[in-house]
Amino acid sequence: MLKRSVSVLVALACVAGVVAYQAHAGTKPAPAAGDPNVFVPSPKFYTDLSPSSRTSIADAYWLQMIQYYGEHWKTDHRFDALPAMVDLVTTLSPRFKQAYFFSAFALIDAHRPDLSYHYLLAGYKANPTDWHFPFYLGFFAWTYAGNEDRHHVAIVAADYYSQAAKLPGVLPSVARLAAALLAKGGEKQKAIETWAAIYGQGDKYSQQKAIAALDALLPPGKHERISAVAALRDLMPASQYSRFVGAIFRGYQ
Amino acid sequence: MRRVFAIAVNTFRETIRDRVLGVIVLFALGMIIASLWLASISLNQQARMMKDFGLVAVTFFGLVVAVFVAASLVHKEVEKRTVFVLFSKPVGRTEFIWGKFLGLAATMLVVLAGMGLFLFLLTLVVAKQASGWLLVATALIYLQLLVVMAVTVFFSTVTSAILASVLGISVFVAGQLSHNVLSLSRLGSGVALKAASWIVYVLIPNLSAVDIKPTVVGEASASWASIAAWAGYLVAYIVVVVLAASWVFRRKEF
Repeated sequence: MLKRSVSVLVALACVAGVVAYQAHAGTKPAPAAGDPNVFVPSPKFYTDLSPSSRTSIADAYWLQMIQYYGEHWKTDHRFDALPAMVDLVTTLSPRFKQAYFFSAFALIDAHRPDLSYHYLLAGYKANPTDWHFPFYLGFFAWTYAGNEDRHHVAIVAADYYSQAAKLPGVLPSVARLAAALLAKGGEKQKAIETWAAIYGQGDKYSQQKAIAALDALLPPGKHERISAVAALRDLMPASQYSRFVGAIFRGYQ
Repeated sequence: MRRVFAIAVNTFRETIRDRVLGVIVLFALGMIIASLWLASISLNQQARMMKDFGLVAVTFFGLVVAVFVAASLVHKEVEKRTVFVLFSKPVGRTEFIWGKFLGLAATMLVVLAGMGLFLFLLTLVVAKQASGWLLVATALIYLQLLVVMAVTVFFSTVTSAILASVLGISVFVAGQLSHNVLSLSRLGSGVALKAASWIVYVLIPNLSAVDIKPTVVGEASASWASIAAWAGYLVAYIVVVVLAASWVFRRKEF
């Protein structure tokens, strides 16, 4: 009986010791962020080593990459190894879309918008049917182009938005963005044609936006406007064209 | 054939009752469930992480079962002297090796099918994105593990169980790198080196011919023709190795 009681006491003391140790370890402050210059192997090393396991390796590095980003974003805002990590993950898994989208914004925090653009382009090449890539490319071209000529930048961005607008599943607003940027870039005729196409294909809201934009872009004179609108006949179904003409000439005698 | 079947059935019963096997399978299922946790910290990539890491767990634990059970299969019979009782009956050594191998193959089938279905259902229920490719991948992992098992059984007829296990794992790793040996044979300057590299390339099982895991996560698209050709190659490799093991075992003196 005594032996058993001693065994139970020893076991309870050991359990208490284990719990107390862990509880104490848990009160220590969280470790400081690690060195931002972590070693990241070349993607070629892994593709040569095990091509059939490349996605598993990419996934493991993806988890490491988001942890690395979060850890340094919360502390020192240094992301020295991020470009190498992005390169590794996207090279091993070129169709891993989320890796491109995350990296594009994370690389902005690493002050490398050029690389964001580069990896989005690579992602677009590997995933040519996903509208998000040209959409983000347009956004990055417009937002992070620096001191480049704004008209030129607007046209580049509009071109990406136009490409995105032709891909399946795209939001209706993307075509409207393309048309608005074309007008900003000074490509008036292209902007008019894009708005007319939006009117022809879009929903009621897009049509209202298109009429408002075209009203501002088309010449105000009745005769000039008639010839400009006539040139848009092929850009929309015939059934919609008469409604379009009615809307665009509202208020004209 | 009936004798082979009888040995296979007994081997299956013996190995499936093994507690170590049960522990490993439970651990594997635990690891597959643990992939849920990895998935939760992956920024909305739950399905991808579950499939990828789940298949890694299936391969790893399948390899552990295949190698350690296959290495001790023949040895245990010899060490316990039960093989002598068996050979006093009208059972040939070739039949013994085939029976042992097929019994273990049936055990592996149960283990892999269990793990594969569990992973499939988990992906279906949790991520709602299960794909039939998961089951195809599990079937191909099964074939790869049968190759490793056959090689381990072969080594266990000529060496100790521990060494056979180590060699079995080494062959699995080498099988993942076989394309590198081919590159070496192309890079070599001397004819002898080129020939030697080519022979090594042919001898090592090609366990990475089809991008099956990348296909499961939508990264590659393996064709059915390439899968069928690879499966045929693996089956042929297994037959050759088990025949070699039988040949060696026939000449073994106890």
